[in-house]
Amino acid sequence: MMKLARQTLLRISLLGTLTLCLVLGNGLREGVSSAGAQDVHVSGPLAGADAVKKLRLWRDLRLHVEPFFAFTIGDEYSRSLIVGGEVRFHFLDWLGVGGWGGYSVGQLDMDLTKEIQAKGVTRDANRLDLPSRERYPDQIGRVNWWSGVELHFVPFRGKLAMFQKVFFDADLDFFVGAAFVGVEERADTEIQRDSITTPQYCTPVGASSPQDPGCLQSQLARSKRTVVAPSFGVSFNAFFHDFLGIALRWRGIPFKYNTGGTDNNDDGQIDSNDRIKQFNNMFTVGLIFVLPPKIKTTD
Amino acid sequence: MAALLTAFPTAVQAQMEFSLDEVDAEDSKPAKESKTQGDLIEELAAGDDSRGGPVEPVPQREEIAEEIYAVQQIYALRLKRLELAPSVAFTLNDPYLKHYGLGFAINYWFTNVLSVGLNFIWYDWGTNPLDRGTSFTPRIQDQFRLGVPINDWQFGLWANFTYVPFYGKFKVRKKIFQWDAYLIGGVGLMRSQPIPVFDPQNRSFDWQTNVAFNVGAGLRIFLTRYLTFFTEFRAYMWPDQFENVNVDPADPTDSSTWLQSGSSFVANTSIQLGFTLFLPIKFEYRLPK
Repeated sequence: MMKLARQTLLRISLLGTLTLCLVLGNGLREGVSSAGAQDVHVSGPLAGADAVKKLRLWRDLRLHVEPFFAFTIGDEYSRSLIVGGEVRFHFLDWLGVGGWGGYSVGQLDMDLTKEIQAKGVTRDANRLDLPSRERYPDQIGRVNWWSGVELHFVPFRGKLAMFQKVFFDADLDFFVGAAFVGVEERADTEIQRDSITTPQYCTPVGASSPQDPGCLQSQLARSKRTVVAPSFGVSFNAFFHDFLGIALRWRGIPFKYNTGGTDNNDDGQIDSNDRIKQFNNMFTVGLIFVLPPKIKTTD
Repeated sequence: MAALLTAFPTAVQAQMEFSLDEVDAEDSKPAKESKTQGDLIEELAAGDDSRGGPVEPVPQREEIAEEIYAVQQIYALRLKRLELAPSVAFTLNDPYLKHYGLGFAINYWFTNVLSVGLNFIWYDWGTNPLDRGTSFTPRIQDQFRLGVPINDWQFGLWANFTYVPFYGKFKVRKKIFQWDAYLIGGVGLMRSQPIPVFDPQNRSFDWQTNVAFNVGAGLRIFLTRYLTFFTEFRAYMWPDQFENVNVDPADPTDSSTWLQSGSSFVANTSIQLGFTLFLPIKFEYRLPK
């Protein structure tokens, strides 16, 4: 079989897709009367009329208060279950600012963590990474709390029909901002490798004592810090009543931390240099309460 | 969501109804001022009472409360059309190996919201699968002395049903775009192959065929009445057999010991992006007479 490099394959795929798009978009258009998306050409007595009358303004100068439940996805070792709230105020129906915060009420260890706990092997070469397999979940990096401020942009809205029986207003809310995250990681430590002491021991970084035989205490030592990171995402919102709606939200918060509590750069130390880029993201389900409860409509 | 809909059924449904109050005031005034509430033909037929003469009795009509509903035609019908959909697929949840798929789907819409079809994804591009490994795999091996059995994929083929429960439109400047969201699911097969990691000197594996099924949801945006852009989230699932992490010291060449005894459940969640072409590209509305 002919072998192609991965990047070459990707380029060929993208080029093929684009070519197909152009062929279908332009070539087949010949002989077809309609062009592009649906054009808004209105003539007759409705020419110049408003596109929408009695538009329901779900956001304009209103406050959205939203308790939510969220869980992180794509985690390597541990998943966070988060309970929190969000408040947004909209200057315009399509533009607003908001803040959110949540606390990790639970942590679910992933299968890999359980595998390491059951089958991991500790040798002198990896003693710093895995002092004890049974206590491995205690060295994993975790996120205790989450918060942020964001700018919200709502370009798309409309009505949505479900099974041709139930209809409700819906919109897409794109947001971008800054997140402040409370991270808890394995504390800094350093392994001392000499040929005399058995087992090897850990000490604080740059110090020779106190000695921690087998690095067992260092496996449990924790340090906390606050991370500032970009946050962005999109939310699908559906409104069922003048003051009530539901939000399904995806939010991404990329930042570095030591997820496994391991010596990732293999320098004999657990420290800030072992932090790895993580594309942390979460899925959120929230209930939207809108204030004031009475909705405004356009003419 | 169901609880909310149950709690406010009238409010939910009322948003799509057009009441007489919504009619422009100028348009509604003449109708309100009409004493007979009849039409012009009726008034002419009734004649002028001031002229005198015999007046025949006009048959009394029952008053009808009229409500006129204005419903826009669906921009693009799917009924009895064939849908061809090339796409690219990116696997989201495999931390050990990167997979790149090129897909093609064909669906026939036997109602405007239901279709049956096939979709195919090819993953095997002749590259060494270990070249597509992530940095995560060697880290686990070095840091925890833990081997990870990995399977590569060749292709998948599924028969699916698609249902469109949601549809709508949005406006960008002066263009209105129609969209729909769909649910999809089906059964088929997935070809996979264990990559020999634990004893590559002795072990080699053939492609194996697994029964697979899938579920997903997608969003389709109509660029024209026959061409759409779509993105979908699919979860392809199958029971797969991985390489045995233990090597038989007595006879490592015994191929019956190379695979794990049981199957592991594999879920490949992926994002697919592509275009669909509806054939025939023209269609006609059939309006009720």
